[in-house]
This record gives sequence, structure tokens and C-alpha cells, in this order.
Amino acid sequence: MTFGPAVGNVGMYVAREMLASVPEDQRQAYLRMVEEISDLKYQLGVEVARQLPRLLAEHDEDLVERYLRQVTDVAAAGWKSGVEVAKQLPDLYEAPDKSLAGAYVDIISRATAGPTEDTETTTLAGELDTLERELREMEPKVKRAQELRSQLAARDRRDEKRRKHAVELAAALPPILARLRPRFRPVYLRLVREVAAADPEASLEAADTLLDLLNGERVTPDGATNWVTRGLDVLERNKDVGRGYFRLGSKHSLDVLEDLKEGLALKEVARVLKLYATALSGHEVAIRGTNEMDGADPYAADHIVLPPEMRVFEDDSRNFTAYKVATAHGAGRIEFGTYIFSLSDIPATVAELRRRYPQEAR
Amino acid sequence: MAVESQRVEDFRLTKEPYYLPLGNEVELFEAAYSARLPVMLKGPTGCGKTRFVEHMSWRLSRTLVTVACHEDLTASDLVGKYTLRGDETIWQDGPLTTAVKAGGIAYLDEVVEARKDTTVVIHPLTDDRRVLSLEKKGEIVAAPDEFQLVISYNPGYQSVLKDLKHSTKQRFVAIEFDYPPPDLEESILISEAGIDSDTAAKLVKIGEKVRNLRTHGLEEGVSTRLLVYAGQLIQGGVEPIAACEATICKPITDDVEMQRSIVEIIATQF
Repeated sequence: MTFGPAVGNVGMYVAREMLASVPEDQRQAYLRMVEEISDLKYQLGVEVARQLPRLLAEHDEDLVERYLRQVTDVAAAGWKSGVEVAKQLPDLYEAPDKSLAGAYVDIISRATAGPTEDTETTTLAGELDTLERELREMEPKVKRAQELRSQLAARDRRDEKRRKHAVELAAALPPILARLRPRFRPVYLRLVREVAAADPEASLEAADTLLDLLNGERVTPDGATNWVTRGLDVLERNKDVGRGYFRLGSKHSLDVLEDLKEGLALKEVARVLKLYATALSGHEVAIRGTNEMDGADPYAADHIVLPPEMRVFEDDSRNFTAYKVATAHGAGRIEFGTYIFSLSDIPATVAELRRRYPQEAR
Repeated sequence: MAVESQRVEDFRLTKEPYYLPLGNEVELFEAAYSARLPVMLKGPTGCGKTRFVEHMSWRLSRTLVTVACHEDLTASDLVGKYTLRGDETIWQDGPLTTAVKAGGIAYLDEVVEARKDTTVVIHPLTDDRRVLSLEKKGEIVAAPDEFQLVISYNPGYQSVLKDLKHSTKQRFVAIEFDYPPPDLEESILISEAGIDSDTAAKLVKIGEKVRNLRTHGLEEGVSTRLLVYAGQLIQGGVEPIAACEATICKPITDDVEMQRSIVEIIATQF
């Protein structure tokens, strides 16, 4: 059992039995001595605490003082020697030859401390101290150098990537330009240039997306400019998110596009109009945008051609009605065969009219 | 052992059901009845097959026992079964047996839906034997001359897994139905829904246009029955577009775009 905090730090290594073996009037002095010596080394305090009761029992203050001094002196040269001396000294004090203890302490002290330092050793130690101090002063600079190295390496990688994407853009742009409607070229080139200057990888995405947006008339040139401007803000904050924006791969990008959209897109209502036209005409009718014709006959009897966006009115409901009217018109032409009429049918038609309306034909 | 039959008189029609002939179906049916031949009515949902049978039943003064067939309907459900009544076990005639014994018309609606074992009891009734075998009872009931078996069949519903076998099909005189021509359908609507001819003409036009969408996403076109419902709602004071949406548009498709296109078609008339 050991004493707790009530006896201060000493309580950590003074057993109750040890304290009990110390005369009551000397206990405070015992604890103080153990505490003082344990400040030098914990193990030293433990050993002194074990040996002191035996010395205190002699009621010889000089002996106790001598013991503590000698132990302290040896411990100053090496604490492990101090511990061993603290253990052995009480026995030596009891030897008939009173000089033995002093001689023992002297031998152990010298053996532990070694010879007095020579000039060379002092010089070497001084030099080492200086170097170590300088090295400590250099540490922040070394750290900074490593940071700079990392940053420059990252920039090198980024530049390499940038050059790679620029090459890809160089290859991709001409075929895109060939597909772009001529009237959109100025705004398209300006917008792709802006994005390419900020991030060639994002410009690859933007080049494709802008082609679809402008050719498909999903946005006006002003709308496209607005969309790119807002995308560049995103790109500045986060490259990856910005690239997603220009790929139309983010909700934000689609939301912005939706805000910018003017009118009703044909593709949103194409199936409803197709079903409507099919029901009205009794023929299977396709709905095609004027932008999807690719040389097809706009007056064929199997499809109705409509603008890709309806912007006649401000609200989509009325724009849909406009689409519906145009579709009904086309369905009427298909139902009643306007598009299948041929000039070669004229003689037969005239003969039929003559037969049906003989009075009027005269 | 007691035998329980349903009261035959419960199946007798007391009032002439309205039916407007579309062709020679009445004559064909009467000829088949005279020759004691079974009849198969083919046609889309709601085109008047059931009404036609009711009309013929009234016209021929025969009781009509109608069975709406479903996938759990077994031969026992048709011919009858033993049941416990207190301490006694009694035999209860099924609807087919009731019709056979009474010399009435047995009408198996959508027969292809019933289980395959039902064909076993139908076949002997449809050839020159004209008998119904009550296997569990060990009895054979001979159908009187007045008895006739009629089945209905909607070819549009059938799949590879559910179709009438040829051995079954080829036992029936088939009368094919389709939606009535516009002028007749208009007359039907006026008669059944009590609406004016202008409204009837508009509904017929809507029906005609919507039927154009068959094979374009609609499994079946709008039936005459649904047009009658629309007319009845309109006659009851419901706003025409709302009435048509509820009866023509919503029941026939869950496809939102299809519904919208049908609403637009409705809007072209009202």
C-alpha cells in the first residue's frame, strides 16, 4: 500500500510500512528528504525512501545529512550509480573502519564522472552545439523549400495536362465548327475562347454543349453567353465542378439553362403532338423539328415539320396551343391528301369533277 | 341427397334491352340458334357483345345465364359441386348446368380467362352430342333443343399463353363485332345517354379520333360503352370536357402524354 496525495508526490513511492518504521517525530522530515531527492530521479527517491528509516532510527542527524549528500553527489555524475550507492552506503556506515564509506563514494563518483574534459573535447562540443543551432534555424527554410518543390511539381503536371487538353481541343474543334450553323459562329468562337483560356479541359465540354444548345436553338446567343459567364464563375471556384457544368452534368447547369430558356421546346411536347396528329389524321405521323430535316422533304405525307422552339407567346401554355394549331394544320393536309396530290392526277380529277358536277362544268 | 338449383326465372329478362344491329348479326344468331349451333362473339371491349346476347335472349324468349369468366374459374364452378348444408350434403348446380336444364342461353363472357379444365365440360355441349357431364355426380345431362352456348372472346387481349385452342374455336359460329359506324354509334349514344344529336356527334368524333391511336400506345380504343358513360355524365350536368376526361381519357391509359393528347382531341370538339 502506498500513500496517496495526502503526503504529496512522495506518496507515490513511500509504502505505509516504511513510514510506520520511521519514528513519529521524524516522519515529516523523512517525507521532505525523500521528496527532495526524488526530484533528482524517481528511482533514486525510491531507494532512499527504503534506506532512510534505518538511518533515522540511529537518531544521528549528521549521518543522515552525510548519506543524502553523498548519494546526491554520486547521482549528479550518474543517477544509476546514485541508486546503487544509496542502497549500499548504510551497510558501509556500519563497518568498523569509518573511512570505508567515504573511499567507496569517492571511487564510484570518479568512476562515474570519468576524467576531466580536455580542450579538444570542449572545442568539438562547442562546434556541435553551433551546428545544431544552425540546423534548427534552417528547418523552416527546408520545409518551405519542400512546399515550393511540391507546388511547382503540381503546376508542371497541370500545365502538362493543360497542353494535352489543348491538343485534344485542336483536334475536336474543326469538325464541330463544320456542324455549327454559320450565324452562330461569332458567339460560339468567342465563348469557347473564353472557356479555353480558363481551362482547356472545360472548353472541350463547352465546345460540344454549346454546339447543341445553339444549333438546337435551345438558347439564344445572349442566353448562351449568360450560361457561359455563370459557368466560368463555377469553374473559378472548383475546376471539377466547373467541367461538370459545361458538360451539362450538374443540376446547377441544367437549372441555369432552364432559367435562360425562352419559349417551349418542341422535344418537350413532340410525343403529345405526334399522338394528336396521328389521332386527328388517322395516319402515323412523325413530328420533326426544322433543325432535324437534313435535306428531307418538308412536305412529305408522313411527318409534320415544326420549329424546334415556339416563342410566339410568353407562356408555355399558349406556345403549346400555337404548336397544336400548326400540328392540326399539318394533320389536316395529311388526312385529306394535300401532300400526295400530283400534277399527273389533274386529268382524272377534272374528269371526276365533270362527272360529279355536270351543270357547273358546262 | 338433395339437389339445389338456382331459380331459372331469376335469369329471365323482362324488358327489351336496347340494341341497334350493325349488320346481319341478329339473323346469324337466330339461324345458329335454330340449328342448335354454339356461337362465339368476337370483338373489342365495350362494343356491345353482352348487350347483343341480352337482346337475343329477350328476342328468343330464353333465360340468359351469364358467367363472367376469370382465371380462378374451374369446371366445378361451371357445372356444380357438393356442399354441406347443416348435416346434409347437397349438390348445387353451377350456372352452366342451370342453363342447360332450363333450356336457356349460357353466356360465358371472356371464356379464355377461365382455367383450361373448363373446355372439358364445354366441348361435349358444342358438338352433336349436346350433353353436359356432371362427373362428380356420375350424371350426364342432355341439353334440350332450346339450350344454346354463347362465348365471348376479345382477340385484342390474347397472348401466346392465353388463347383459345383451335379445337375449341372451331366448334363455334363466330360473329365478329367492332365499334359501330359513326351514324349508328351516334344513334346508340342518343338512345342510351339521352343526349342531343350534336353532343352525340361530337362524342362519336372523339371516339373515332382516339381509336386512331390503337397500335400507337393504346391497347384498345375508346369503347362505345365509355362514350355512353360520357354522354350520361354530360346529360347529368357534368361539364363536357371534364366528363370526357373522366370517361374517355383516364380509364384507357395511364400514359400521361397519351392522356394529354386525348384531352387535346376532346378539346377540339368541346
